[in-house]
Amino acid sequence: MKEIFKTGAKLAVICAVAAISLGIVNAVTDPIIIAARAARLNAALQKLSLGFEIGELVAVDDGSAVTGYYPLTDAGNIIAYIIKVIGAGYADDLNLLSAISIKGKILSAVLMENSETPGLGKEAENASYMEMFTGKGDGSVIPFRKSQLEHDDADSITGASITFIGIGKALNKASEFAINLGGM
Amino acid sequence: MLKDFTKGIIKENPVFIIVLGLCPALGVSTKVVNSIGMGAGVIFVLLGSNIFVSLLKDFIPEKIRIPSYIVIIASFVTVVEMVMEAFIPALYDSLGVFVPLIVVNCIILGRAEAFANKNTVKSSILDALGMGIGFTLALMLISLVREVFGLGTITLFPIGNFSGVIEIPGISNAPVRVFGLAAGALLVMGFLKALFNWVGELRRVK
Repeated sequence: MKEIFKTGAKLAVICAVAAISLGIVNAVTDPIIIAARAARLNAALQKLSLGFEIGELVAVDDGSAVTGYYPLTDAGNIIAYIIKVIGAGYADDLNLLSAISIKGKILSAVLMENSETPGLGKEAENASYMEMFTGKGDGSVIPFRKSQLEHDDADSITGASITFIGIGKALNKASEFAINLGGM
Repeated sequence: MLKDFTKGIIKENPVFIIVLGLCPALGVSTKVVNSIGMGAGVIFVLLGSNIFVSLLKDFIPEKIRIPSYIVIIASFVTVVEMVMEAFIPALYDSLGVFVPLIVVNCIILGRAEAFANKNTVKSSILDALGMGIGFTLALMLISLVREVFGLGTITLFPIGNFSGVIEIPGISNAPVRVFGLAAGALLVMGFLKALFNWVGELRRVK
Protein backbone atom coordinates (compact mmCIF):
# COMPACT_ATOMS: atom_id res chain seq x y z
CA MET A 1 0.00 0.00 0.00
CA LYS A 2 2.71 2.41 1.07
CA GLU A 3 4.63 1.50 -2.06
CA ILE A 4 1.71 2.50 -4.32
CA PHE A 5 1.37 5.89 -2.64
CA LYS A 6 5.09 6.50 -2.88
CA THR A 7 5.14 5.60 -6.59
CA GLY A 8 2.05 7.70 -7.27
CA ALA A 9 3.50 10.67 -5.43
CA LYS A 10 6.71 10.49 -7.47
CA LEU A 11 4.76 10.42 -10.72
CA ALA A 12 2.69 13.38 -9.49
CA VAL A 13 5.87 15.33 -8.69
CA ILE A 14 7.27 14.69 -12.18
CA CYS A 15 4.00 15.79 -13.79
CA ALA A 16 3.77 18.91 -11.61
CA VAL A 17 7.32 20.01 -12.46
CA ALA A 18 6.63 19.41 -16.17
CA ALA A 19 3.39 21.39 -16.01
CA ILE A 20 5.01 24.34 -14.25
CA SER A 21 7.90 24.55 -16.71
CA LEU A 22 5.49 24.34 -19.67
CA GLY A 23 3.43 27.13 -18.13
CA ILE A 24 6.50 29.35 -17.93
CA VAL A 25 7.50 28.70 -21.54
CA ASN A 26 3.92 29.34 -22.65
CA ALA A 27 3.79 32.66 -20.79
CA VAL A 28 6.92 33.77 -22.66
CA THR A 29 6.02 32.56 -26.15
CA ASP A 30 2.24 33.14 -26.24
CA PRO A 31 2.26 36.92 -26.79
CA ILE A 32 4.88 36.54 -29.55
CA ILE A 33 2.80 33.86 -31.28
CA ILE A 34 -0.39 35.95 -31.12
CA ALA A 35 1.40 39.04 -32.48
CA ALA A 36 2.94 36.99 -35.31
CA ARG A 37 -0.45 35.55 -36.28
CA ALA A 38 -2.04 39.00 -36.33
CA ALA A 39 0.82 40.33 -38.46
CA ARG A 40 0.46 37.43 -40.89
CA LEU A 41 -3.30 38.02 -41.21
CA ASN A 42 -2.72 41.71 -41.84
CA ALA A 43 -0.07 41.06 -44.47
CA ALA A 44 -2.37 38.57 -46.22
CA LEU A 45 -5.27 41.05 -46.20
CA GLN A 46 -3.11 43.82 -47.62
CA LYS A 47 -1.98 41.56 -50.43
CA LEU A 48 -5.52 40.41 -51.21
CA SER A 49 -6.99 43.90 -51.14
CA LEU A 50 -5.34 44.82 -54.50
CA GLY A 51 -4.95 48.35 -53.20
CA PHE A 52 -8.62 48.93 -52.43
CA GLU A 53 -9.84 50.00 -49.02
CA ILE A 54 -10.51 47.14 -46.58
CA GLY A 55 -13.68 47.47 -44.52
CA GLU A 56 -14.46 46.04 -41.09
CA LEU A 57 -14.76 42.27 -40.66
CA VAL A 58 -18.37 41.09 -40.74
CA ALA A 59 -18.72 37.75 -38.96
CA VAL A 60 -21.00 35.14 -40.54
CA ASP A 61 -22.46 32.44 -38.32
CA ASP A 62 -24.94 30.48 -40.42
CA GLY A 63 -23.26 27.10 -40.13
CA SER A 64 -21.90 27.29 -43.70
CA ALA A 65 -18.26 27.18 -44.74
CA VAL A 66 -18.04 30.98 -44.84
CA THR A 67 -17.12 32.42 -41.45
CA GLY A 68 -16.81 36.11 -42.25
CA TYR A 69 -15.96 38.73 -44.85
CA TYR A 70 -14.28 42.11 -45.28
CA PRO A 71 -15.85 44.40 -47.92
CA LEU A 72 -13.39 46.02 -50.37
CA THR A 73 -14.45 49.49 -51.40
CA ASP A 74 -13.36 51.88 -54.13
CA ALA A 75 -14.52 55.46 -53.52
CA GLY A 76 -17.32 54.23 -51.23
CA ASN A 77 -18.63 51.56 -53.61
CA ILE A 78 -18.28 47.91 -52.71
CA ILE A 79 -16.48 46.20 -55.57
CA ALA A 80 -15.35 42.93 -53.99
CA TYR A 81 -15.10 40.99 -50.74
CA ILE A 82 -12.31 39.22 -48.94
CA ILE A 83 -14.08 36.11 -47.75
CA LYS A 84 -12.94 33.87 -44.90
CA VAL A 85 -13.89 30.34 -45.78
CA ILE A 86 -13.10 26.93 -44.33
CA GLY A 87 -12.46 23.91 -46.52
CA ALA A 88 -12.10 20.25 -45.57
CA GLY A 89 -8.41 19.31 -45.76
CA TYR A 90 -6.58 16.00 -45.53
CA ALA A 91 -5.75 16.79 -41.91
CA ASP A 92 -8.03 19.28 -40.18
CA ASP A 93 -9.56 22.47 -41.62
CA LEU A 94 -8.14 24.59 -44.43
CA ASN A 95 -8.49 28.25 -43.50
CA LEU A 96 -8.69 30.27 -46.71
CA LEU A 97 -8.90 33.96 -47.44
CA SER A 98 -10.10 34.82 -50.92
CA ALA A 99 -10.75 38.12 -52.66
CA ILE A 100 -13.86 37.63 -54.79
CA SER A 101 -15.61 40.17 -56.98
CA ILE A 102 -19.31 40.88 -56.46
CA LYS A 103 -19.94 38.84 -59.62
CA GLY A 104 -18.26 35.83 -58.01
CA LYS A 105 -14.88 35.92 -59.80
CA ILE A 106 -11.88 34.73 -57.76
CA LEU A 107 -9.41 37.63 -57.80
CA SER A 108 -6.86 36.00 -55.53
CA ALA A 109 -6.71 33.53 -52.67
CA VAL A 110 -4.34 32.46 -49.94
CA LEU A 111 -4.23 29.43 -47.66
CA MET A 112 -3.76 30.42 -44.01
CA GLU A 113 -3.64 28.02 -41.02
CA ASN A 114 -3.74 24.35 -42.01
CA SER A 115 -2.29 21.00 -41.01
CA GLU A 116 -1.57 19.55 -44.44
CA THR A 117 1.33 17.22 -45.16
CA PRO A 118 4.63 19.03 -45.78
CA GLY A 119 5.72 18.64 -49.39
CA LEU A 120 2.26 17.58 -50.58
CA GLY A 121 -0.82 19.46 -49.31
CA LYS A 122 1.34 22.21 -47.83
CA GLU A 123 2.36 23.22 -51.37
CA ALA A 124 -1.03 24.95 -51.52
CA GLU A 125 0.48 27.72 -49.38
CA ASN A 126 2.58 28.84 -52.35
CA ALA A 127 1.19 31.78 -54.27
CA SER A 128 1.63 29.92 -57.57
CA TYR A 129 -0.72 27.14 -56.43
CA MET A 130 -3.69 29.51 -56.35
CA GLU A 131 -3.15 30.45 -60.02
CA MET A 132 -5.31 27.41 -60.85
CA PHE A 133 -8.25 29.26 -59.32
CA THR A 134 -7.65 32.94 -59.97
CA GLY A 135 -9.75 34.48 -62.73
CA LYS A 136 -12.26 31.62 -62.48
CA GLY A 137 -15.92 32.04 -61.57
CA ASP A 138 -18.35 34.57 -63.08
CA GLY A 139 -19.00 32.48 -66.18
CA SER A 140 -16.21 29.89 -65.92
CA VAL A 141 -16.01 26.93 -63.56
CA ILE A 142 -13.92 27.14 -60.40
CA PRO A 143 -12.20 23.74 -60.53
CA PHE A 144 -12.78 21.23 -57.74
CA ARG A 145 -12.20 18.03 -59.71
CA LYS A 146 -8.95 16.92 -61.31
CA SER A 147 -10.68 16.56 -64.70
CA GLN A 148 -11.39 20.30 -64.70
CA LEU A 149 -7.68 21.16 -64.65
CA GLU A 150 -5.08 21.66 -67.35
CA HIS A 151 -2.75 18.68 -67.72
CA ASP A 152 0.22 20.37 -65.99
CA ASP A 153 -1.87 21.57 -63.06
CA ALA A 154 -3.42 18.14 -62.63
CA ASP A 155 0.11 16.69 -62.45
CA SER A 156 1.21 19.17 -59.84
CA ILE A 157 -1.52 18.27 -57.37
CA THR A 158 -0.75 14.54 -57.54
CA GLY A 159 -0.48 13.21 -54.01
CA ALA A 160 -2.57 16.03 -52.61
CA SER A 161 -5.92 15.65 -54.36
CA ILE A 162 -7.90 16.00 -51.13
CA THR A 163 -6.32 19.36 -50.38
CA PHE A 164 -7.12 20.51 -53.92
CA ILE A 165 -10.75 19.33 -53.75
CA GLY A 166 -11.15 20.97 -50.32
CA ILE A 167 -9.85 24.30 -51.61
CA GLY A 168 -11.87 24.10 -54.86
CA LYS A 169 -15.14 23.38 -53.08
CA ALA A 170 -14.54 26.06 -50.45
CA LEU A 171 -13.80 28.65 -53.14
CA ASN A 172 -16.97 27.67 -54.99
CA LYS A 173 -18.98 28.28 -51.82
CA ALA A 174 -17.19 31.59 -51.23
CA SER A 175 -17.92 32.65 -54.81
CA GLU A 176 -21.63 31.89 -54.42
CA PHE A 177 -21.62 33.76 -51.14
CA ALA A 178 -20.12 36.83 -52.79
CA ILE A 179 -22.73 36.73 -55.57
CA ASN A 180 -25.52 36.54 -52.97
CA LEU A 181 -24.08 39.50 -51.08
CA GLY A 182 -23.86 41.49 -54.31
CA GLY A 183 -22.92 45.15 -54.26
CA MET A 184 -25.41 45.89 -51.44
CA MET B 1 33.64 7.62 -24.02
CA LEU B 2 33.94 8.99 -27.54
CA LYS B 3 32.36 5.76 -28.74
CA ASP B 4 29.06 6.80 -27.10
CA PHE B 5 29.04 9.70 -29.51
CA THR B 6 30.28 8.16 -32.73
CA LYS B 7 28.28 4.92 -32.64
CA GLY B 8 25.02 6.76 -33.45
CA ILE B 9 26.35 8.23 -36.65
CA ILE B 10 27.05 5.10 -38.71
CA LYS B 11 27.53 1.89 -36.71
CA GLU B 12 24.22 2.15 -34.84
CA ASN B 13 22.56 4.74 -37.05
CA PRO B 14 18.99 5.10 -35.70
CA VAL B 15 17.35 5.14 -39.14
CA PHE B 16 19.43 2.77 -41.25
CA ILE B 17 20.68 0.28 -38.68
CA ILE B 18 18.30 0.31 -35.69
CA VAL B 19 15.39 1.30 -37.99
CA LEU B 20 13.61 3.52 -35.47
CA GLY B 21 11.59 6.68 -36.00
CA LEU B 22 10.73 5.92 -39.61
CA CYS B 23 7.31 7.59 -39.58
CA PRO B 24 8.63 11.16 -39.16
CA ALA B 25 11.78 10.30 -41.13
CA LEU B 26 9.84 9.36 -44.23
CA GLY B 27 7.13 11.96 -43.71
CA VAL B 28 9.27 15.10 -43.59
CA SER B 29 12.04 14.04 -45.93
CA THR B 30 10.52 15.71 -49.00
CA LYS B 31 12.86 18.70 -48.78
CA VAL B 32 16.35 19.07 -47.33
CA VAL B 33 15.34 22.07 -45.24
CA ASN B 34 12.59 20.07 -43.51
CA SER B 35 15.09 17.37 -42.59
CA ILE B 36 17.41 19.90 -41.00
CA GLY B 37 14.55 21.40 -38.99
CA MET B 38 13.22 18.03 -37.90
CA GLY B 39 16.72 16.90 -37.02
CA ALA B 40 17.30 19.99 -34.89
CA GLY B 41 14.03 19.34 -33.05
CA VAL B 42 14.91 15.70 -32.43
CA ILE B 43 18.44 16.54 -31.23
CA PHE B 44 17.02 19.05 -28.74
CA VAL B 45 14.33 16.70 -27.40
CA LEU B 46 16.70 13.74 -27.28
CA LEU B 47 19.30 15.76 -25.42
CA GLY B 48 16.74 17.04 -22.90
CA SER B 49 15.12 13.68 -22.31
CA ASN B 50 18.41 11.79 -22.05
CA ILE B 51 19.78 14.28 -19.51
CA PHE B 52 16.66 14.18 -17.36
CA VAL B 53 16.14 10.43 -17.58
CA SER B 54 19.78 9.91 -16.62
CA LEU B 55 19.56 12.39 -13.74
CA LEU B 56 16.33 10.91 -12.42
CA LYS B 57 17.23 7.22 -12.94
CA ASP B 58 17.45 6.61 -9.18
CA PHE B 59 14.35 8.68 -8.41
CA ILE B 60 11.97 7.08 -10.92
CA PRO B 61 10.64 3.72 -9.70
CA GLU B 62 10.93 0.81 -12.13
CA LYS B 63 7.13 0.35 -12.35
CA ILE B 64 6.34 3.84 -13.61
CA ARG B 65 9.41 4.46 -15.73
CA ILE B 66 7.57 4.47 -19.08
CA PRO B 67 4.90 7.04 -18.05
CA SER B 68 7.62 9.17 -16.45
CA TYR B 69 9.73 9.10 -19.62
CA ILE B 70 6.70 10.00 -21.71
CA VAL B 71 5.92 12.99 -19.48
CA ILE B 72 9.53 14.20 -19.75
CA ILE B 73 9.63 13.72 -23.54
CA ALA B 74 6.21 15.29 -24.12
CA SER B 75 7.22 18.35 -22.10
CA PHE B 76 10.34 18.88 -24.19
CA VAL B 77 8.41 18.45 -27.42
CA THR B 78 5.82 21.00 -26.32
CA VAL B 79 8.62 23.42 -25.47
CA VAL B 80 10.13 22.88 -28.94
CA GLU B 81 6.74 23.43 -30.55
CA MET B 82 6.03 26.67 -28.70
CA VAL B 83 9.52 28.09 -29.17
CA MET B 84 9.54 27.15 -32.86
CA GLU B 85 6.15 28.74 -33.49
CA ALA B 86 7.22 31.92 -31.71
CA PHE B 87 10.69 32.38 -33.16
CA ILE B 88 10.93 30.38 -36.42
CA PRO B 89 7.32 30.40 -37.72
CA ALA B 90 8.35 29.47 -41.28
CA LEU B 91 9.96 26.23 -40.12
CA TYR B 92 7.03 25.56 -37.77
CA ASP B 93 4.63 25.89 -40.69
CA SER B 94 6.54 23.57 -42.94
CA LEU B 95 7.03 20.85 -40.32
CA GLY B 96 3.33 20.95 -39.46
CA VAL B 97 2.04 17.83 -37.80
CA PHE B 98 5.45 16.24 -37.45
CA VAL B 99 6.63 18.32 -34.50
CA PRO B 100 4.12 16.84 -32.01
CA LEU B 101 4.97 13.45 -33.51
CA ILE B 102 8.47 13.68 -32.00
CA VAL B 103 6.75 12.53 -28.78
CA VAL B 104 6.11 9.11 -30.24
CA ASN B 105 9.40 8.96 -32.13
CA CYS B 106 10.75 5.60 -30.99
CA ILE B 107 14.35 6.83 -31.03
CA ILE B 108 13.76 9.09 -28.08
CA LEU B 109 11.96 6.58 -25.88
CA GLY B 110 14.35 3.91 -27.15
CA ARG B 111 17.44 5.83 -26.02
CA ALA B 112 15.85 6.64 -22.65
CA GLU B 113 15.08 2.97 -22.08
CA ALA B 114 18.15 1.40 -23.62
CA PHE B 115 20.84 3.90 -22.67
CA ALA B 116 20.07 6.92 -20.48
CA ASN B 117 18.55 4.99 -17.56
CA LYS B 118 21.68 2.86 -17.21
CA ASN B 119 24.42 5.38 -17.88
CA THR B 120 25.88 8.60 -16.50
CA VAL B 121 24.68 12.03 -17.54
CA LYS B 122 27.87 12.64 -19.51
CA SER B 123 27.57 9.46 -21.57
CA SER B 124 23.88 10.13 -22.08
CA ILE B 125 24.60 13.58 -23.49
CA LEU B 126 27.12 12.08 -25.93
CA ASP B 127 24.69 9.33 -26.85
CA ALA B 128 21.91 11.87 -27.49
CA LEU B 129 24.15 14.03 -29.65
CA GLY B 130 25.46 11.07 -31.63
CA MET B 131 22.03 9.53 -32.18
CA GLY B 132 20.48 12.93 -32.96
CA ILE B 133 23.17 13.80 -35.49
CA GLY B 134 22.95 10.31 -36.98
CA PHE B 135 19.18 10.73 -37.37
CA THR B 136 19.62 14.18 -38.93
CA LEU B 137 22.26 12.98 -41.39
CA ALA B 138 20.11 10.00 -42.36
CA LEU B 139 17.13 12.29 -42.96
CA MET B 140 19.25 14.69 -44.98
CA LEU B 141 20.51 11.85 -47.14
CA ILE B 142 16.98 10.53 -47.80
CA SER B 143 15.61 14.00 -48.49
CA LEU B 144 18.54 14.94 -50.74
CA VAL B 145 17.85 11.95 -52.98
CA ARG B 146 14.08 12.53 -52.88
CA GLU B 147 14.25 16.26 -53.53
CA VAL B 148 16.85 16.09 -56.31
CA PHE B 149 14.92 13.43 -58.24
CA GLY B 150 11.38 14.32 -57.16
CA LEU B 151 11.48 18.09 -57.55
CA GLY B 152 14.81 18.80 -59.23
CA THR B 153 15.76 21.24 -56.50
CA ILE B 154 17.73 21.43 -53.25
CA THR B 155 16.00 23.65 -50.71
CA LEU B 156 18.10 25.16 -47.91
CA PHE B 157 17.60 28.23 -45.74
CA PRO B 158 17.29 31.58 -47.55
CA ILE B 159 20.26 33.81 -46.70
CA GLY B 160 20.42 37.37 -48.04
CA ASN B 161 19.99 37.39 -51.81
CA PHE B 162 20.11 33.59 -52.00
CA SER B 163 16.52 32.33 -52.07
CA GLY B 164 17.48 29.02 -50.50
CA VAL B 165 16.47 26.97 -53.53
CA ILE B 166 19.08 25.45 -55.85
CA GLU B 167 17.57 24.29 -59.12
CA ILE B 168 19.19 21.36 -60.86
CA PRO B 169 19.10 21.89 -64.62
CA GLY B 170 17.70 18.98 -66.59
CA ILE B 171 15.64 17.54 -63.74
CA SER B 172 13.71 20.52 -62.41
CA ASN B 173 11.49 20.80 -65.50
CA ALA B 174 10.73 17.10 -65.69
CA PRO B 175 11.15 15.60 -62.23
CA VAL B 176 10.34 11.99 -61.29
CA ARG B 177 7.41 12.85 -59.06
CA VAL B 178 7.13 9.47 -57.40
CA PHE B 179 10.24 10.26 -55.35
CA GLY B 180 8.33 13.03 -53.61
CA LEU B 181 5.42 10.77 -52.71
CA ALA B 182 5.10 8.13 -50.01
CA ALA B 183 6.08 5.31 -52.37
CA GLY B 184 9.29 7.14 -53.26
CA ALA B 185 10.10 7.58 -49.58
CA LEU B 186 9.92 3.84 -49.01
CA LEU B 187 11.89 3.06 -52.17
CA VAL B 188 14.70 5.46 -51.30
CA MET B 189 14.75 4.19 -47.72
CA GLY B 190 14.97 0.61 -48.96
CA PHE B 191 17.86 1.27 -51.32
CA LEU B 192 19.79 3.28 -48.75
CA LYS B 193 19.26 0.55 -46.14
CA ALA B 194 20.59 -1.99 -48.64
CA LEU B 195 23.61 0.24 -49.22
CA PHE B 196 24.28 0.50 -45.48
CA ASN B 197 23.94 -3.28 -45.10
CA TRP B 198 26.39 -3.81 -47.95
CA VAL B 199 28.93 -1.44 -46.44
CA GLY B 200 28.47 -3.11 -43.04
CA GLU B 201 29.05 -6.52 -44.62
CA LEU B 202 32.22 -5.33 -46.36
CA ARG B 203 33.59 -4.09 -43.04
CA ARG B 204 32.87 -7.38 -41.32
CA VAL B 205 34.64 -9.36 -44.04
CA LYS B 206 37.71 -7.21 -43.62
